[in-house]
Amino acid sequence: MLKIDHLSKHYGETLAVNDLDFEVKAGVVTGFLGPNGSGKSTTMRVIMGLDRPSSGRATINGQTYDQLKSPLREVGALLDAKALDPSRSARNHLRALALANRIPVSRVDEVLEFVGVASVANKKVGGFSLGMSQRLGIAGALLGDPGILLFDEPVNGLDPEGIRWIRDFFRSLAKEGRTVFVSSHLMSEMAVSADQIIVIGRGKFITSGTVDDLTANAVGTVLVRSNDPARLAEVLRAANATVEVLNDNGLNVGGLNSEQVGEAAFAAGIVVHELTPQRASLEDVFMTLTADSLEYGHKNLEANS
Amino acid sequence: MSTSPTLVDTTRAEFLKFRTVRATFIGLITLIVLTIGLAVLITLVIKANWSQRSPVERLAFDPVATSLVGVFFAQFAVGVLGARNITSEYASGAIRTTLAAVPRRVRLVVSKVIVLLVTFFVVGQVVVFCAFEIGQMIYRSGHLPSGTLSNSTDLRAVIMAGIYLTLLTLVGFGLGLILRTTSVTISIYVTLLLIIPIIVNFLPSSWQDHISKYLPSNLGQSMTSPSAISSHSFSWGTATIVLVIYTIVIVGIGTLLLTRRDA
Repeated sequence: MLKIDHLSKHYGETLAVNDLDFEVKAGVVTGFLGPNGSGKSTTMRVIMGLDRPSSGRATINGQTYDQLKSPLREVGALLDAKALDPSRSARNHLRALALANRIPVSRVDEVLEFVGVASVANKKVGGFSLGMSQRLGIAGALLGDPGILLFDEPVNGLDPEGIRWIRDFFRSLAKEGRTVFVSSHLMSEMAVSADQIIVIGRGKFITSGTVDDLTANAVGTVLVRSNDPARLAEVLRAANATVEVLNDNGLNVGGLNSEQVGEAAFAAGIVVHELTPQRASLEDVFMTLTADSLEYGHKNLEANS
Repeated sequence: MSTSPTLVDTTRAEFLKFRTVRATFIGLITLIVLTIGLAVLITLVIKANWSQRSPVERLAFDPVATSLVGVFFAQFAVGVLGARNITSEYASGAIRTTLAAVPRRVRLVVSKVIVLLVTFFVVGQVVVFCAFEIGQMIYRSGHLPSGTLSNSTDLRAVIMAGIYLTLLTLVGFGLGLILRTTSVTISIYVTLLLIIPIIVNFLPSSWQDHISKYLPSNLGQSMTSPSAISSHSFSWGTATIVLVIYTIVIVGIGTLLLTRRDA
């Protein structure tokens, strides 16, 4: 089990991770979602023992990474696919990892075959495309057949076929009872590939739950069309709703449900042509949740418009 | 099967990494060419000009030192190889993969030191013995004074020349651990070996007498010469001890920093 225990990390004055505290369960794919610069990679680096936490800790089955006797047999990680010596071949890169962790060298060819880079195993990794490097990185993560797998932005650089492959692959790893922890800044990707999602922003925990949990709790909007949108907007604003006038004269209404919007229109004698509740997408939820925590938000632009 | 990995396993991994990059072979060839090639070149030149030498010059002639002069050029090749063993990992980011596989950082350093120590001890001894033997062969063919390995001071000078190269490999490695970038490490290494001696030369001679014997290049001269060079230089034994201490301190500081810093 992977446990993040009141973890904080400073880089000089910058607080990259701020008191994160959560557990990642086995048997499901857990998405680690947050905007760029929100502390996902830092958290992953601390888990891997690469960066030292300022306070708190990350433990793997109760031990910090540097206490693990044979780390690659317990945790497999793909943090940065290009972090390889470019002049070494893919096979030799994996052989060195296998030797250092007493993993049988025969396992190297198995994982190379599995990720589909066996045909270029003797080529220098410096010439690999990002997609091929990602596959090699996945091979390295699988080398020790670990129970916990970490992937930092794994779909970057993959083609659509590769993305589909990796989604199925995460699911099958989870089905085998492994802990699969995948970071992404793309909510659409997490919506289809993760069972459980942990959302962070500016290094702080925001929320967690299943995709359905996250969208269910979010308040949707109501789309309404009428014969007099200008007057209807006035009426709804008077009822404390937020109203956005769409280009086609439809109104996007927040703060009221569809019954309330319909009743308000009826009371004012306005004919309603369409009345549709809009369910919040995970993307909307994510934008709402992280709006305050974006390092470079668009808030000021919106306020001026 | 699930026995935990030991120092032997990490050392095997480091040795595999060391011998599977082309830079290692380019560096080793440079080392061989500089040490043996310069021995051939210099001894041939001396042989050709022997007849024009004055009796005083002939008396000052040192057949051992002249055949080992390439060592003081090869010292740059070994320093770069030692430094690159760690700085190239920082340059590519591979250090993070390495530390994920071997999170015990002291053990990682020990493995790297073993690989460098063993390889450069063997290669160092081979090249200095070849340089010496080829040089003496050339001298003998011109009926010049020559040295022999059956003479214990000559033998010692040759062995110490190889050890000097081995220690400087580790000095380069230690500086690389501390400085982490190849270019900065090599600049500092060259400064220590070439620039600081020049600066010391401008100091008052009473200062020089106290300082210059501590310079790495002068330690090398002391280690490889049959007898003490002057009253202000160390004996070969003391010089070796001083250089060993330098090496331990530099690698030690580098190891301490590695265990403290984020990767």
